[in-house]
Amino acid sequence: MAIPMEEDQNEWDQINARNWKGIGLTDPIKSVEDKWLLLPAFLKVKGLVKQHIDSFNYFVEQDIKNIVKANNKVTSDVDPRFWLKYTDINVGFPDRNEMSSIDKKVTPNECRLRDITYAAPIMVTIQYTRGRSIVQRNVNIGRLPIMLRSSKCVLTGRSEAELARMIECPLDPGGYFVVKGTEKVILVQEQLSKNRIIVETDTVKGIVQASCTSSTHGGLKSKTYVATKKGKIYLRHNCVHEDIPIAIALKALGIQSDKEILLLTAGNTEAYKSAFSASLEEAAKLGVFTRHQALEYIGSRVKINRRVMGPRRPAWEEALEALATIVLAHVPVNALDFRSKAIFVATMTRRVLMAMEDEKMVDDRDYVGNKRLELAGQLLALLFEDLFKTYNTNLKSAIDKVLKKPSRTSEFDAFNTMQFQGDHLTSGFVRAISTGNWSLKRFKMERAGVTHVLSRLSFISALGMMTRISSQFEKTRKVSGPRALQPSQWGVLCPSDTPEGEACGLVKNLALMTHITTDVDEEPIIRLAFMLGVEGTSIGNLTTPKRLIAPFLDISLATGTEIYGPHTFVVNVNGTIIGLTRYPTRFVAQFRKLRRARRMSEFVSIYINNHHHAVHIASDGGRICRPTIIVEDGRPKVTSEHIALLKKGTVTFDDFLRRGLVEYLDVNEENDTYIALYESDIVPATTHLEIEPFTLLGAVAGLIPYPHHNQSPRNTYQCAMGKQAIGAIAYNQLNRIDTLLYLLVYPQQPMVKTKTIELIGYDRLPAGQNATVAVMSFSGYDIEDALILNKASLDRGYGRCQVLRKNVTLIRKYPNGTFDRLADAPLDENGQVAKKYDIIQMDGLAGVGERVDPGDIYINKQSPTNATDNTFTGQAASVPYKNTPMTYKSPVAGNIDKVMISDTENDQTLIKVLIRQTRRPELGDKFSSRHGQKGVCGLIVNQEDMPFNDRGINPGGCFRICTIKTRSADVESGTDTIMNPHGFPSRMTVGKMIELLAGKAGVLSGNLQYGTAFGGSKVGGTSAPIGRRLTDVLGRGHESDIDRERLQLCRQRYVDEWYHRRASGGLRLFWADLLPSE
Amino acid sequence: MQGHDDQEPTVHIRELKKDSVNFVLKNVDLAFANSVRRVMMADIPTVAIDMVEIEINTSVLPDEFIAHRLGMVPLGSSNCDEAIRNTRDCTCLAGCDSCSIMLLLDVQCNDHSTMDVTSHHLDVVPPGTPGTWSQEGDSEAGEELSKRGEGFGRPVGKDDGSPPILICKIRKGQHLKLKCVAKKGIAKEHAKWSPCSAVSFEYDPYNKLRHTTHWFESDERGEWPLGPNAQEEEPPRDGEPFDFNAQPRTFYFDVETDGSLGPQEVVMKGLAELQTKLANLILGLKSQPELDMLTSADPHSNGHATTDTWGGDGGGGAAGWGPAAGGGGGWGASSPARGGASTGGWGSASPANSGGGSSWGGGGAASSQGWGSPNQQANGWNV
Repeated sequence: MAIPMEEDQNEWDQINARNWKGIGLTDPIKSVEDKWLLLPAFLKVKGLVKQHIDSFNYFVEQDIKNIVKANNKVTSDVDPRFWLKYTDINVGFPDRNEMSSIDKKVTPNECRLRDITYAAPIMVTIQYTRGRSIVQRNVNIGRLPIMLRSSKCVLTGRSEAELARMIECPLDPGGYFVVKGTEKVILVQEQLSKNRIIVETDTVKGIVQASCTSSTHGGLKSKTYVATKKGKIYLRHNCVHEDIPIAIALKALGIQSDKEILLLTAGNTEAYKSAFSASLEEAAKLGVFTRHQALEYIGSRVKINRRVMGPRRPAWEEALEALATIVLAHVPVNALDFRSKAIFVATMTRRVLMAMEDEKMVDDRDYVGNKRLELAGQLLALLFEDLFKTYNTNLKSAIDKVLKKPSRTSEFDAFNTMQFQGDHLTSGFVRAISTGNWSLKRFKMERAGVTHVLSRLSFISALGMMTRISSQFEKTRKVSGPRALQPSQWGVLCPSDTPEGEACGLVKNLALMTHITTDVDEEPIIRLAFMLGVEGTSIGNLTTPKRLIAPFLDISLATGTEIYGPHTFVVNVNGTIIGLTRYPTRFVAQFRKLRRARRMSEFVSIYINNHHHAVHIASDGGRICRPTIIVEDGRPKVTSEHIALLKKGTVTFDDFLRRGLVEYLDVNEENDTYIALYESDIVPATTHLEIEPFTLLGAVAGLIPYPHHNQSPRNTYQCAMGKQAIGAIAYNQLNRIDTLLYLLVYPQQPMVKTKTIELIGYDRLPAGQNATVAVMSFSGYDIEDALILNKASLDRGYGRCQVLRKNVTLIRKYPNGTFDRLADAPLDENGQVAKKYDIIQMDGLAGVGERVDPGDIYINKQSPTNATDNTFTGQAASVPYKNTPMTYKSPVAGNIDKVMISDTENDQTLIKVLIRQTRRPELGDKFSSRHGQKGVCGLIVNQEDMPFNDRGINPGGCFRICTIKTRSADVESGTDTIMNPHGFPSRMTVGKMIELLAGKAGVLSGNLQYGTAFGGSKVGGTSAPIGRRLTDVLGRGHESDIDRERLQLCRQRYVDEWYHRRASGGLRLFWADLLPSE
Repeated sequence: MQGHDDQEPTVHIRELKKDSVNFVLKNVDLAFANSVRRVMMADIPTVAIDMVEIEINTSVLPDEFIAHRLGMVPLGSSNCDEAIRNTRDCTCLAGCDSCSIMLLLDVQCNDHSTMDVTSHHLDVVPPGTPGTWSQEGDSEAGEELSKRGEGFGRPVGKDDGSPPILICKIRKGQHLKLKCVAKKGIAKEHAKWSPCSAVSFEYDPYNKLRHTTHWFESDERGEWPLGPNAQEEEPPRDGEPFDFNAQPRTFYFDVETDGSLGPQEVVMKGLAELQTKLANLILGLKSQPELDMLTSADPHSNGHATTDTWGGDGGGGAAGWGPAAGGGGGWGASSPARGGASTGGWGSASPANSGGGSSWGGGGAASSQGWGSPNQQANGWNV
């Protein structure tokens, strides 16, 4: 008996042996702690507005070169020997565009202050003929506004100290432009994806249609439809007058045999065959049998719009050209090989047949995977291409003009002509960005409102603007589809952050970890796919020598039978069919392995669509993706050891990507994965693990503590309101001169923080203050969400705010030689200075720090009376002057905060005067918590009348916790508010209650608490330290008998918002007032 | 109510520290106790910086910001009643030694590190220094100056080395030079004139009186939050019947001051202030002829209440007052009106009992007369 026992024992020992990396089989699996640290690591690499910056970088570094390459030659109609070629283009670093300046370096802040544009020169290298020789030179062709924090910006890669020297805030996300002194953002635009087939049905008309918007480099856009009409299928396109029966279209594309047409479209499926038969017959009925006949048929219906007069071409040629270049322009046609285009049209037809047969086979245009986001880089690329083409046309005509002249004194040098081309590019960029009008006739683009002024109401409003996505949909349309929350938005678009009202659901915001891709060259990917065993159907889209891949590539080999065979999957790259595979799972797995090994860009996505029997590979720009942790064999690849390295700072996020621990998934690829939310949810089928669940919220929604306990609309309201909060705006806020700036005198970081708050730096640039709040009814002046404020708190500085307003004037020089001037204060007959001039100093400007009363003059400017008189030739100094002063108009006195004198780019003297007012909260000012619960101040109550607890703390009393017993403003800890409890039941903001508890626990224990979404301090945990003071007995101070109420007296963050007042008085008439009363 | 009225009000001081006093007040009405609390918080005059004239400010903070912070600095204010006049009662035009204190601050940073400008940098200009006030000698000099103590008007903590209050931080080359004028005022006007930082106040720690209810999960008694004051009272016995006639008679106070006044002074001044208020009230309720008679007797003469007053002849109660409160509904916020329990002890005001009672009985007519009196308003006695 003893022996088996011993054997048993050994077995146990073996099992228990720490045999693999010190971990035994029976040990509990360690969970990856702090895996959220990947998030700051990600943000460190990518930043909060990485999408804008990446896109701009791609434009200035790559795209701009491609554009120039595509338009690189300027020739002359006059002299055939002349040519000019652009060989290279480079965007420099921003500099000062002034001849006289010695120090060319410029900072964004200088641009803001001086109302100039933060732009860099665009240098091209040209080669051209001069006489008989060929010359190479570098020319500056214009200036491109530079996005802040992009690779061309002077701020990139600077330390905090260096940024401080440049008067720039290290927390500022960048991603905007400074054009003529204003900060402009190019909002992210949402569009339906290009070059993909979208199948839709119109149940009312009974139409099924597949559409595809083609967009090639060069901006040519056209939309092709394959749609049903009375049970038959037609091809529809703008360039053809009427719908073309699909069989004719396919014949024209080179598929003459009816059998092949049937195979390519309907395949072997009986149902499709019968549905398609009518369409097939139609060609025969119309007497179209051959390719030539089909081309003739189409050619006679093509819209011809050619400008160049020439011999009229036969119809079939017109048709051939239209089919090759306009219809489905993105599918390449090499040497009139229409095979791939034919297959594409056949696929569209098949998709229509499938949708006719089964309603579920339609696509959803609201699905995020079918969307592409257009960013600053793409828009600028289009703009540049348009401007560059115009520039070249202008250059060409200028050159022609010179060359036309029969004799010249000196040899013609195109370089000189270029010098005289003016600033077409510069002004084009500046105009487009400052007005927001993208009107590019060449690309049939007419968009207004592309750019917006960056809102600097608060740090959060600026940040919120950078993550905003606007949709191309008309706001007035009352459709619910595009506005609804899509399940596919998970993790990439914030579910809470959207405005109320007409733009609801159309304007969205990016989630915290979202990344938007830029274009990746697809050719190497196609080659790679072939290497992995994809069998080709066409070589049309490949420039690789045919012999390399020839064994797989006989086009005619693949036809309907193969393509739609039971086990074949079609492989698509960016929507174009490249080949077939019989082992999609293996192919996809291998492809992913290569991607994880970084043999290609990490942003290339691949997924299997089982409904269509297709594998899709995407490498185009504008896809929305996010990083997730890879899980293999039921274990996340990221381990605690990796996180430890990350904490030490020895590795970065890129290392995680390079080692295949983390990968980007786009929305389509997500469908092919099984993502575990938490590590404990991992099952054998799991492929990925979320980095942190709270990243599904955006930057603004991330500020809400405990949002997962709130009713969802409250979070949405808060997202709109959080942006209005007054607080600190940027570290450089006191060095900025903005039109209107609201600052809080004593901003505080929230007691209850979230991880998002720390990540975006809201704890360093906070808006709002922590308040001691009593939730109770009081006095009746608190109905309808009104708040009661403690007068003593206000005395101590609670909610005190500063309003800084900019006043600008130019001291101009006029074309007739006269100029404006500044004058000192005039004296009246008694030799006294009039009251309104009392703050004007010798230089004609008000002194800094002086108090400005209503009606006071702060810039005593005088203008010549004959400024517009262009016939004037006399002495500029002797002309008569009139007073054109700047007068302070606000009804409330202010102080001169700053006076700035500078020059603009066109040498006009610029004077900016910043006037400051300090305001304290008063009745009617709006306050809000972080849960969409706003209210106005209804009553201000003396401290002794406020309710108080047994420790003498009243909402507004000083806190015992603060040991210093002074009333110094720093200690004004117990600021405060009474909030009516009626605000709770209908709003169901449980998160707010938890915040109250957590805040109180924090105050009592001297810690900051966390209210991170889907986590944060637990109620059980937070309330423990509160102990006995979980509830406070409040006495009502103002009544003769003290009522006692057992209530929460807690701390909560109150954010004060606008205290705007109406600037001018007067009654406003409403229609109701005008109607006769009954 | 009648039952305990015979007992005299008592004060038991449990702890007295430099800046706080903890005492138990017994045998007074809830309303009276609350009045004491309110008066201590809001009606005791102190001095605080009220006007700031900035000469040089090259710091990063704006002028108003610094001025506000300066106002919040507590200044030594003991014997404020006599040591300084209210500016509005003073005959001077723009400040004088009798009604104002001048403080100067002149700090410049010459180091490479950040320098803290604190309340310790504030220097009081000694009264009588020539050139302090713009118009010298246009005021009648009073005896105020002689009544001032050592640290009067000086920032609290400057003498005893306690940590100062930060006003502003400056770097090399920055300079802050300003002149402050401190004036007398009360917290009703601005919180900077409050001598208290917190006045804790509790009664009935076991909730025997059922003035409140408590939501509990399982055990009402166990979950009721008990504070240290609970030791002073007997816990309720099981099955003890609820006495719906019971009135709160014991109050636990803890008065913490910001240093401008000592805790003792705060309490005593508070009581004195309360007396003055009531005297004024009674005065206001007199019919005209009686008022004329009384004006000769200065109500301020009983300004300094001494401890004796506490134990003074509590006596009589005021039968006339009880119903009066019910009738004068509009009085809600001015709690002193009902503080009847020990009116008897209040010196010259006592004759009011009879007269006052009658005028109250008469209803609104008589009282409206009293309300309009400018005298009362000038004393800061408003609702």
